[in-house]
Amino acid sequence: MKKWLSGVCALGVIAMTGTASAETFKIGLIASYTGAFATWGTQFQNAIEAFQAINGKAVKGPKGESIDVQLVYRDAASAGPDKAKQLAEELVLREKVQMLTGFELSPHAMAMADISTQAKIPVVIMNAATASITRGSPYYVRTSLTLPQWAQVIGTWAAQNGIKKVYTIISDYAPGHDAENYFHKSFKAAGGEIVGADRTSLRETNFAVYMEKALQAKPDAVYMFQPGGSPSISFVKAFSERGLKQAGIKLLGNGEFAELYLPHFSDDVIGTISVNHYTETNARPENKVMRDQLTKQFGEKGVTDIASVAAWDGMNLIYTALREHGASADGLKYIDAMKGKTLASPRGPIMIDPEERDIVQNIYIRRIEKVGGKLTNVDIATVPMVKDPWKIDNPVKK
Amino acid sequence: MTTLTPKSLPASGLGTMAAGQLSFVGHALPWAIAVVFFFVAGGYLSFGTQVLIWILFALSLDLALGYAGIVTLGQAAFFGLGAYAAGLFAIHASSDPVVGHLVAVGVTALFGFVTGALILHTTGVTFLMLTLAIVSIMFEYANQATKLTGGDDGLQGINVAPLLGVFEFSIFGQTAYVYALVVLFFWFVFSWRVVNSPFGRSLDGIRQKPARMRAIGTPVWRRLLAIYTLSAAMAGSAGALSAHSTSFVGLSVLSLVTSGVVAVILILGGIRRLYGAFVGATIYLLVQDWSAKVSPYFWEFIVGLMLIATVLFLEGGLMDLGRVGRNFLNRIRNRADVK
Amino acid sequence: MLSFALTILLDGISYGMVLFIISVGLTVTMGLMRVINLAHGAFAMIGGYVAGYLTQHGFEFYLALVLATLVSGFLGGLCEMTVIRPLYRKGELAQVLLTIGIVFVVTALITEIFGAFPYRVEFPTYLTQPVDIGFRTYPAYRLFLILVGGLIALILWLLIEGSLYGAKLRAAVDNAGMARAVGMNVNLLFTATFIIGTAFAGLGGAIGSGILSLEPSYALKYVVLFLVVVIVGGEGSFKGSFVAAMALGIIDTTGKYFVAAAAPYLLYGAVFVLLLWRPQGILPPKSLA
Repeated sequence: MKKWLSGVCALGVIAMTGTASAETFKIGLIASYTGAFATWGTQFQNAIEAFQAINGKAVKGPKGESIDVQLVYRDAASAGPDKAKQLAEELVLREKVQMLTGFELSPHAMAMADISTQAKIPVVIMNAATASITRGSPYYVRTSLTLPQWAQVIGTWAAQNGIKKVYTIISDYAPGHDAENYFHKSFKAAGGEIVGADRTSLRETNFAVYMEKALQAKPDAVYMFQPGGSPSISFVKAFSERGLKQAGIKLLGNGEFAELYLPHFSDDVIGTISVNHYTETNARPENKVMRDQLTKQFGEKGVTDIASVAAWDGMNLIYTALREHGASADGLKYIDAMKGKTLASPRGPIMIDPEERDIVQNIYIRRIEKVGGKLTNVDIATVPMVKDPWKIDNPVKK
Repeated sequence: MTTLTPKSLPASGLGTMAAGQLSFVGHALPWAIAVVFFFVAGGYLSFGTQVLIWILFALSLDLALGYAGIVTLGQAAFFGLGAYAAGLFAIHASSDPVVGHLVAVGVTALFGFVTGALILHTTGVTFLMLTLAIVSIMFEYANQATKLTGGDDGLQGINVAPLLGVFEFSIFGQTAYVYALVVLFFWFVFSWRVVNSPFGRSLDGIRQKPARMRAIGTPVWRRLLAIYTLSAAMAGSAGALSAHSTSFVGLSVLSLVTSGVVAVILILGGIRRLYGAFVGATIYLLVQDWSAKVSPYFWEFIVGLMLIATVLFLEGGLMDLGRVGRNFLNRIRNRADVK
Repeated sequence: MLSFALTILLDGISYGMVLFIISVGLTVTMGLMRVINLAHGAFAMIGGYVAGYLTQHGFEFYLALVLATLVSGFLGGLCEMTVIRPLYRKGELAQVLLTIGIVFVVTALITEIFGAFPYRVEFPTYLTQPVDIGFRTYPAYRLFLILVGGLIALILWLLIEGSLYGAKLRAAVDNAGMARAVGMNVNLLFTATFIIGTAFAGLGGAIGSGILSLEPSYALKYVVLFLVVVIVGGEGSFKGSFVAAMALGIIDTTGKYFVAAAAPYLLYGAVFVLLLWRPQGILPPKSLA
């Protein structure tokens, strides 16, 4: 009996000292750990754990108080946005999180709009790339990319680098439409000609026909946009099998050729040119810090990708905001603190657009080469500090 | 909930309690649980709303598949159509949820009627493939028509006005929960009356011996069409609830997986007893919620095993567990007696 | 123009051959046993993964194909004797659900063992390159598919039309009760047929992986395609499924070529119209016609 009592007392003391010495700030992360998008959840979480291993799990607030930053992870299971929304409600109402983050899929991020506004919860979007998203709520900040950033840059670059005719083959879904739209626009604006455009059904893996059509149109290059994984692998296979590569036609792509996916391609992929905002092998010290830490913690599974870098920078932004405003400020205060911030990211310099709360960053053109026996993306051009073109085309109505 | 004994089975083994009393308790129990849940749920209320919606969806399938023996894999077509209809109506016409709901139900009923009239003369695998084809075509269309549906990004900007002009749909989800519960109750009572009517009895006959029913003059095709249309309307109603409660419609409402999951839920719970949908949806979503946290692919594996086991050993679904258990105990007792 | 038409034809036929090799087993088992088997794609997937694993670990390509075929057939037989057999007495619903259950279990196991990423079968180099066929260069891989598919069709045709097994099979498809009554061991016939069917599926999954690429969702993703071949061709009709597979391959290819925007609807639209027109398929066996 006595033992039991003293135990309770001890617990009480621990609890009291706990609250006295530090505040906690809870962040809910929603991403898929299972299903078709299973890699995203793990990639986000690994990067966040690596970030906290280096920068500490606590931040010093404006009054010198120590704030414990706690993450609560939830699996959106590659399911519909209703699932993501339900998880967000649980996190806000039961776990009392003060911020939400994660979101690899645009529909998931979009579904957070009314929760964030009603509960005044800032949402740091770590992937979801549909351009319009950040307009959905004043509580949204994005640290990843917008699709028009990629498509516009590679379109212009192609036209300026000796590619005059392009055949585009994109996957027939919303992100594919964005990519097609902005590629066509920028490529034509820079003097190029689109000699054909096809949309393939969402899970297509039989690309022979499209390759045949492209071959007959005799373009200088084929521009593709396919979901990562089996569609893009089949695409590249069909591309070289059909003799397009031998015919000297270049292949232009996007995120399909991230380092994470490269081991699943055969050597046919060498020479492919892609656009991205993060080249995994870049030599920046910030990148080295992040990659070394991830390798140290997760070994072979510590490969970095756009998910890691977005999570890393997202945490960096959150830490900055907490340093300025402590653990119990109004949601919009944190957003204000993030607006206009510039950071040295592992991907290069980035800035949060003060008006749109969206990311402004360098965009890189890379070529796949074999470096030391390994397929690697090598930078061949850089376009500095690109602002989302969609927002420039669609200014906020006042 | 497993203690509940459906009407179609003899209320044996429960001793002195009269059948009437028992059936009253049986009926009151699930609804009482649903009402109590409202007060104790806290942050889980929107999970509760999801369960209610899936119950209604599974209930709609029970009418077609369970009672009338229409083996379909296209039920998601109605759920999805109802969701898109409700969502689009809220965006382009009126944000009143009740009107939107009625419109969605009307649209899906009409769609069920038309497609049913086209394909109900076929049976077996052919029918199965036709339902698959319909839902796949709808999925592809919703994916391509990004201007109308938002495609893969989903239908955005659904604004739902307060229910009856008073109750707002907030993140706390009270309105959505009560709304879903009331709708479910209405459909349940309706279905109960339908399956216990002479019309419902004739469906039983059609399921078991369509040729014989035809021989005694039952208009088989018309009966099937009627129940198929009703089932479509109910699924559409569930879809509309989903659109209103989450103010969002994603492409996945039209996916084959949605069709599959609802069948799994119904079979797990037990077909042809209406309450099977209740048991199935609750257990399925609870186990899914829990096991997805344990290990990634564990869930799929468990569902697969559950399906195989249900088909092989538990033809009446989980609602049969009580009876199977009793039989097992009796057998052991008998064996002991022999010794 | 002629060379262009020929190219489309080759593309269509090679695709159709993959569908045929995988589906032919399903057609026979569905016709013979009247079981809706949604797990057929799972056996094709298993064959693909076995071949992929072996070729990636230094096994010779053709040896890997043989082993993949055997493993699929063996697992298929095992499955038939344990969980499929009780289904013969049950309704369509039970069949659909149990076989979906098998798909889930296999998918989960494959993901656990091989991961969620796509998986690759290493083809010999001469199959991954274009070759000169006179009027143009053409992928050697697709010619290989046409060759193998044609060979299989020929062998099966000889087997079914010319052997005692074939005669028994045709008899049992047309009237299982009568076959049993005249003293045939129908159970044994069922098991043998199931083994052969899943073995072909495994082979098809392995050599077809260049078109239907391997990933854990394979079993669910493509099974609709295989069912379409069977149902459109007419359950139990070997010739029907060959015709249906070729037709689907060619329709799909030409459709994508000329009306790309309609491509996603093409398959299902064609199926819809065909089945409303002929609910029993193009060439149903005599008993059903």
